[in-house]
Amino acid sequence: MKGFDEIQQLWQGQKPEPNVSFDTILKRLKSNRTALMRKLFWQSIAVGIVVLTALWIGLAVDFSTWTTYLALAIMVGCIAYYFVNQLTDYKNISRSSHLLSKPQDYINYLRAFQQKRNRFNTRNYLIYEICIAAAFALYGIEMYFILPLLTFVGIFLFVIFWFLICHFVFMKQYINSENMRIEEMIDNLERIKNQFE
Amino acid sequence: MSKQRQLFQQLFEDNSKKVYHLCYGYTGDSDSANDLMQETFIKVWQNLDKFRNESQFSTWIYRIAVNTCLSYLRTVKRRTTDELNDTIIENYAEEPSEKQEQIALLYKSISQLDENERIIITMVLDEIPYPEIAEVAGISEGNLRVKIHRIKHKLTEIYNSNERL
Repeated sequence: MKGFDEIQQLWQGQKPEPNVSFDTILKRLKSNRTALMRKLFWQSIAVGIVVLTALWIGLAVDFSTWTTYLALAIMVGCIAYYFVNQLTDYKNISRSSHLLSKPQDYINYLRAFQQKRNRFNTRNYLIYEICIAAAFALYGIEMYFILPLLTFVGIFLFVIFWFLICHFVFMKQYINSENMRIEEMIDNLERIKNQFE
Repeated sequence: MSKQRQLFQQLFEDNSKKVYHLCYGYTGDSDSANDLMQETFIKVWQNLDKFRNESQFSTWIYRIAVNTCLSYLRTVKRRTTDELNDTIIENYAEEPSEKQEQIALLYKSISQLDENERIIITMVLDEIPYPEIAEVAGISEGNLRVKIHRIKHKLTEIYNSNERL
């Protein structure tokens, strides 16, 4: 039988010590910054190329209907919206000033952040999907006047089939797994929050 | 060497061991504890300009360490106590002296406490003053004293029952 004082003595005589040196931390700080810059740089380049290509197509190709221009604008809007959201979340995470809050407030912040990400990955994705479908439909009007009827119907059916698969199979699977994961996280955060009250 | 870097190095030397103990007590695994300790000091560096002298540097660092530990479950699914115990025993398997076994048993016992209890008790074991622990945990000193009394009792019971087994 040991009392708490003996347990404390045992603790103070323990061997486990960190095997991370000050230099390792400095190296990781530098590599983290470089990795983040590199990631953001390539993401920005990719989005920039897509947006510029869309703009170039809009200016260089003489489309016969205004709906195609609207379709291009919707596509560019969707990509920009997604990119800005990712960037904002990334900035919020890396700013990390909430790490200085009281644990209970920090847990509240984590819960709110997870719920926001959940909304972004589920509800907002549906809006995103509707916008992309609308862009395809608007572009379809132009194609209707250009392509032979049978080819147009074939492509039209394929696109509808692909959207249905995405919505009813892939998206449902994604939403279910995402909801389960986030609910588990929120439950855990709720449990820890209660411990600090 | 810049002033900021000098200060950071001093903070690392003064606090890394206790921050490591806190992370080890929380995760029950030395690899994760090293990762969390690294993450804590990276956040310390990134927020060094936000330190306002309203508290001690150590209190400020512990607060970052505690929040870093709490966010551990964001990326890693919470492991069951049995899994934690297996890791702790593996970590101490290299030197199975009687003292090492007792320390392994102590970490095993800490891992059986709730998350906030693990954080508080590791700071108590490291003899961090009560007002500082209360500030880190964001609770009143009176509330903290009650909690500490209960956790000490709980840990002693768990440790002794594990020792009997």
